[in-house]
Amino acid sequence: MRNSIILFVNGEREELSPENSFMTVAEYLRYKKGLTGTKVVCSEGDCGACTILVARMQNGKLGPYKAINSCISFMYLLDQTHLITVEGLKKDNELHPVQKAMVENHGAQCGFCTPGFICAMAALTEDAKNEKFPLEEKRVKNYLTGNLCRCTGYDSIIKSGCSVDLRTTPLLGSFYDDGKIEKELATLKGSVRLTFENKTIFLPASVDEATLEKKTKSPRMISGSTDLGVVSNKGKLALTEMMSLNNIASMYSVEETATHLIVGAKASLAEIEERTAKAFPAFSNNLHIFASPQIKNSGSLVGNLVNASPIADTIPFLRVAEAEVVLRSSAGERVVNVNTFIKGGYKELDMRSDEIVTHIRLPKTNHEYKLYKVSSRRDLDISTVTMAVRYTLKNNVLEEFSLALGGVGPTVLRMNQIEAKAIGQYFNQALFKRLATDVKNSINPLSDVRGSTDFRLILCHNLMLKFCDEVMTDHKISFQEISL
Amino acid sequence: MSIGKDIIHDSGIGHVTGESIFIDDRPEQRGELHVGLVLAPIACGEVTAIHTAEALKHPDCAGIYTWKDFVHQKWGPIIHDQNFVCNPKINYMAEPVVVIASTTRESVEAIKKLVKLEVKESPGIFTITEARKAESILSKASAPFIQGDVEAVFKKSKHVLEGHFTCGGQEHFYMESQAAVAYPLEGGQIEVHSSSQHPSETQRVVAEALGLPLHHVVCVVKRMGGGFGGKESQGAPIAAYAALVAHKLKKPARLILTKDDDMKITGKRHPFEAEYKVSFDDAGKISAIKVLLMSDGGAYADLSSSILERAMFHLDSAYFLENCHIDGVCYKTNNHSNTAFRGFGGPQGTMAMESIIEDIAQFLKMDATKVRQTNLYQGNNLRTPYGQVLENNMLPDVMNKLLDSANYEARRKEIDEHNKKKTGTIRGLSMTATKFGIAFTARFLNQGNALVNLHLDGTLQVSTGATEMGQGVNTKIQQIVSHVLGVPHQDVQVMPTSTEKNHNTSPTAASSGADINGAAAKNAAEMIKGRLTELAKKVFAGEPADAIKEYEILKGELDSDIVFADNKVTQKSSGKEITLKELIGKAYFNRISLGAYAFYKTPGLGFDKVTVSGKAFNYFTQGMALSEVSIDEYTGEMKVLRSDILMDLGRPINPGIDRGQVIGGFIQGMGWVTTESLYYDQKRNLVSHSPTTYKIPNVQDVPRTLNVDFIPNPDNHVNVYGSKAVGEPPLLLGISVWSAVKNALSYRANGKALKLKSPATQEEILMELERIR
Repeated sequence: MRNSIILFVNGEREELSPENSFMTVAEYLRYKKGLTGTKVVCSEGDCGACTILVARMQNGKLGPYKAINSCISFMYLLDQTHLITVEGLKKDNELHPVQKAMVENHGAQCGFCTPGFICAMAALTEDAKNEKFPLEEKRVKNYLTGNLCRCTGYDSIIKSGCSVDLRTTPLLGSFYDDGKIEKELATLKGSVRLTFENKTIFLPASVDEATLEKKTKSPRMISGSTDLGVVSNKGKLALTEMMSLNNIASMYSVEETATHLIVGAKASLAEIEERTAKAFPAFSNNLHIFASPQIKNSGSLVGNLVNASPIADTIPFLRVAEAEVVLRSSAGERVVNVNTFIKGGYKELDMRSDEIVTHIRLPKTNHEYKLYKVSSRRDLDISTVTMAVRYTLKNNVLEEFSLALGGVGPTVLRMNQIEAKAIGQYFNQALFKRLATDVKNSINPLSDVRGSTDFRLILCHNLMLKFCDEVMTDHKISFQEISL
Repeated sequence: MSIGKDIIHDSGIGHVTGESIFIDDRPEQRGELHVGLVLAPIACGEVTAIHTAEALKHPDCAGIYTWKDFVHQKWGPIIHDQNFVCNPKINYMAEPVVVIASTTRESVEAIKKLVKLEVKESPGIFTITEARKAESILSKASAPFIQGDVEAVFKKSKHVLEGHFTCGGQEHFYMESQAAVAYPLEGGQIEVHSSSQHPSETQRVVAEALGLPLHHVVCVVKRMGGGFGGKESQGAPIAAYAALVAHKLKKPARLILTKDDDMKITGKRHPFEAEYKVSFDDAGKISAIKVLLMSDGGAYADLSSSILERAMFHLDSAYFLENCHIDGVCYKTNNHSNTAFRGFGGPQGTMAMESIIEDIAQFLKMDATKVRQTNLYQGNNLRTPYGQVLENNMLPDVMNKLLDSANYEARRKEIDEHNKKKTGTIRGLSMTATKFGIAFTARFLNQGNALVNLHLDGTLQVSTGATEMGQGVNTKIQQIVSHVLGVPHQDVQVMPTSTEKNHNTSPTAASSGADINGAAAKNAAEMIKGRLTELAKKVFAGEPADAIKEYEILKGELDSDIVFADNKVTQKSSGKEITLKELIGKAYFNRISLGAYAFYKTPGLGFDKVTVSGKAFNYFTQGMALSEVSIDEYTGEMKVLRSDILMDLGRPINPGIDRGQVIGGFIQGMGWVTTESLYYDQKRNLVSHSPTTYKIPNVQDVPRTLNVDFIPNPDNHVNVYGSKAVGEPPLLLGISVWSAVKNALSYRANGKALKLKSPATQEEILMELERIR
C-alpha cells in the first residue's frame, strides 16, 4: 500500500508526504510550491480565482484537462493526475493564446481574478479544439460562469475569449510530455492510505476494498469535495477519517442500457449533463444552470444525493424520476427507490454505516419533465426553491403527475397528496389554480438569507401556474390568458 | 505620442501569467508571523473580560494583544473616533477585539478559538428608522442646499407628490481581501506593505497605533486586487494590527483577512433613505423639490459626513432644480462602519432623484424619458442646487444621441404593446444619467506630487501617490510621461507607491487618481524636458562645452520649437536633431539634473459649505444609459436585455482602459441595485458574508446586448490632456437597470404608487408585483 500522493504539476513529478497531502490544492500550490498565481478569495468554490486545470488518468491515459476549484479540493483527491496552473500555461517565455487575448483586450484590470479566468478559458479552448466547436459568446460565458470578476464587468473578458485563434492554440496534452506522464502514472497500482496527525484518507483500488473499509472503520466518504471542502475550510467540520473512490476507474462510468441510465458514483455532473441530453433533456438543461463548470467537473450526482441537502438541485428530479439507488456493502448489493432512500428528516437517509452508494440508476420512461430552479442570481447560485414535475398528458388528461419541491422543508419533498389530486384530471388552468393553492397550504418553508417564507410560498404557488401555462403552450392547448 | 492610444495595462502580462505580486504572494520571511483577529460576538455592549491563558499555551501562539497594547487608542480618516480594538465598548458585530500572532498559518484559527471573551450586551440601533427615533446622529449637513422658496411654490403647484425612497448598502467585494504585511526595520522603524488606496493615511495610522514618528514608518503599495473605496480608510487598521505584532515581536507579520471576516468586519456602501416632496406641472416639469437624505453611517464617523455631502451634491442627478431644499443627516447605528464606495454617496443621491422622476411619470401617465428631457440641464438652466454653474454641458447632446442610437421611440412602442398582453413577462425601459462632480469636496485633498527619474539609457522610473487597483492609473501615468519625453511607453516604469518617495499623498479616490497624479507626473516630466530643451538648444546652436566650461541650464523652459518624439529631440526651425540618449548623456556629464519632483494642485477650487457658495467641482463627467429589462411575472426573475451607454470622457488618455472602467462601473452599479443584498440576522450577524450568499453579477448577468460609446468633446480643456475622470461616474448608470424594473412594474401598478426598494432582488420584485396585483 502506497502512503504518498503522486501527481504531476506543470509537467514536474511530485510525490507528497501525508502531511502535504491533506492540504487543499490551493494551499499546496501557493505555500509549498510558491505558485502564487493561483489565488484564494472565497475558499468555497464560488468565485473561481483558484481555478486550475486537471487531467486524471483514465485507462492508462490522461483524460481531458478540466477546470476545477483548487481551494476546496484536497491534494489527496488529485492522486494520479496532471495539474496545470496559470504559471504552467506560459511556456518557453511565450504566452498561451488565451493569455495573449486577455492582455490585448484589457481582460485584466486588478488581476486578482485573472489567473482563474485564464485557466477556465484554457479549459474552454481545450474543449473547443477537442470537440470542434467555435468560440462564440454563449460558449465563452458558459465556461466562465464559475469565475467572478469585480472590475471589468466581464465584457472585455468575453471579448478575449471570443478572439482566441484556435488554430494557433496548442492542446494542453502537447504542452507537456503527456506520454511520459502517463507512462509514469500508469505504473501506480493498488490502494493508498495516508495518515497525518488525526487525519486518515484511504483511496481503495477496488469496490471490495472500499466496502471492507466502510465495514471496519466506517470512514466519511468524500467525492468531489465541493461541499465537504467548503465546510472544512470554514471550520464547520473536521475531516478526519476519510475515504474516496477517486482511484477506482469503474466508478467514473455512465452507462446506458435499454431501460436505464446508470451513473457511477464518481461520474462528474459535467459528464452527466452531457450524457443525459437525450434521455433526460430537461435534467441536462437543469444541470446547465446548476453550477459552474469547475463544480460540475468535480461534483457528482451521488455526492449531491447523499449529501442530502434540502436545496440540492438534483434531488427533486431524482425523486420524480423514481431513481434507484444502488448501495453496496460487504454483505452485497441493495437497490432502493430514491423516495424511500430519502426519509423525512433533515439529511436522514436509508443507508447503513457499512454501505456506500456505487450507482444511481435512472429509469427511462416516456414521461415528460419540467424542472425549475429559482435563485437570487440565475446562474451559479444556491436555490431558493426548486420544483420538479414528471407528467404525461393524454387527451388532455394527466395520466402521470409527480411533483417534488426543494427549499421548502427539511428535505426535498415529494408531494404525494397533490399528485393524487391531479392524476386522472383534465389539464386546465382551474385545476392548477386549485393545486397551486393546495401546494401553498401544504408546505411550511423557512425564512432565511435566500428568501422569506412568503416569497417561497408565492414562488411555489406561481411555479405551479407557470408549469400549467408552459404545458398548455407546449401541448398547444388554447387558453385565453395566463394563469397568474 | 501615446496619449489617446489604447495601449495594454502596464501589469497586463503579469496578471495573465500569475506573476503579479499581491500582498499574500510575497514570500514568507524567516520567522514571519501570521496575525489573526478575534471578533466581537455581539453588536452592542462591552467586553468585560478577555481570557487568553488557554490561547497562550498553544505551541504556535507568539503573542496576544488587546487595546492596552496600542499606544494611541483611536483612529479615523476625518475624526479619530474608532478604537483599533474594542476598549471596552463594542459598537458593532464582528468588531475586532483581540489581535493574535501565530508562528504558523495553520494555527491562526485554533488560537483565535482559544481566546475567550466575556461580554455584556446592550440593545443596539440597527436601522435608519431606529436611529431616527433615538436621534442617534453621526453628522448633519453643514447647511441645506436651498434655491428659491419651495414651500411657496408647493402651494401654487398643480401636482405635489410625497414619497419615500430606500436603497441598500453594498459590499465592495474586492477580490483581494484586506491584507498587510509589516517588516520591522532597524531602530524600531516599520515598513508596511498594504493593500491600501491611501498609503499616507496607512503610514499615519500605523505610526499612531505604535506611537512612532511618521519618519519611522514607510507604507508601500504595489497594487491592490481591487479597492472600490473599501481600502481608502479601512485598510489602515489592518496594517496597524500587522505592524503592532511586527513591532512587538520584532518579526515580520502578515494579516490576510478571509473573505468571510473581511465582509463581516469592514464597512460598506451607505444604505440611504430619502423623504421627498416634489411639485410639477402637467408636462412633468419640476417646480420645486424638498428632500431629506438620511444615511446609515454605522458605528463610527469614518468618511460618512463627506459621503452624505456628496449624496446631496448629486441629488439633482442631471436635472435643473429651480427651487429646491436639499438636506441630509447621517445616523449612528450599531452596524459596521460604512465607508467610501465608488460613487461616494453620489449614486444614492442620484438614484433618489431618478426614482422620483419615475414616480412623476407614473403619476402623470407619461413616458419618464419625456420628464427627464423636460428637466434636463440645458439652455440657461445650468445652475446646480449648490450654486455652481455647469460649463461645457454635454447632457442634451448625450441624451439626444443616445435616444437616437438606441432607437428609443420604436422600442418604447414595442414594449407598450408587449406589456398590454399578459404573456408572463413584462418589460421595462429607462434612461438615467450621471453628472459626476470631479474633485475631492475636501479641497486640501486635491493635491499630488510625483517623482520622475530619467536614466542614462533613456528609460524612466516614475513614482506618484496614486495607487494601482486595476483602474489603470499607472498605465495612464506611463502614457503621460512617455508622451512628454517622446519615448515609447514601455520605457516608462511606474514604481510601487511608497510614502518615502511621495509624501502626504491623497487617497486614490474620487476618480481623481490620474487627474492629480497624472498632472503632477506631467509637471515633473516637463521639468526634465525643459532642462533638456534648453540643453538641446545650446547643442544645436553649437555652443561649446569642455573640461573648463560646462553647459549651464537656467530656467529649463519648454519651447515648442524643440520636439521630443520617437527617442529623438528635433529643432523644428533648423531641422537639427539629436537622439534622446545622446542628449541625456550630455546632460549627465554636464551635471544637469535628470530627475524631477513636482507638485500639482487642482486650480480654482473653493466652496463654503456653510454659505453654500463657490466652486465645489473642477468639472463634471457626464453620461447616460438606457436599459431594458424583462421580468418573469411568475417568479420575479429579471433579465437585462440591453443597455446602451454614452459617456462624455473628454479626450481619453487610454480609451481601452476607460471603456473597461465604464463597463466595470456600470455592472457594479447594476449589481448594487439588483442582486446584491446584505442580509443580517436578528443579532446583526451578516449572514451574506461570502459569494455563496452575496451575489455580485456574474458573466451571465451582463446585458444580452451592451453598447458603449464615448461622445467626442474637443471643447474640454480643464484637465490633464483634456481627459476626464472615469472611475466613479459610470457606476451611477447601473441605476438605469433598477429604474427599468420600476418602469416595468408601472405597467401592472393599476394606479397604485410603486414602493420598489433597492436592491430590486427577485424577491423584492415578486413581492412588489404581488402587492400591486
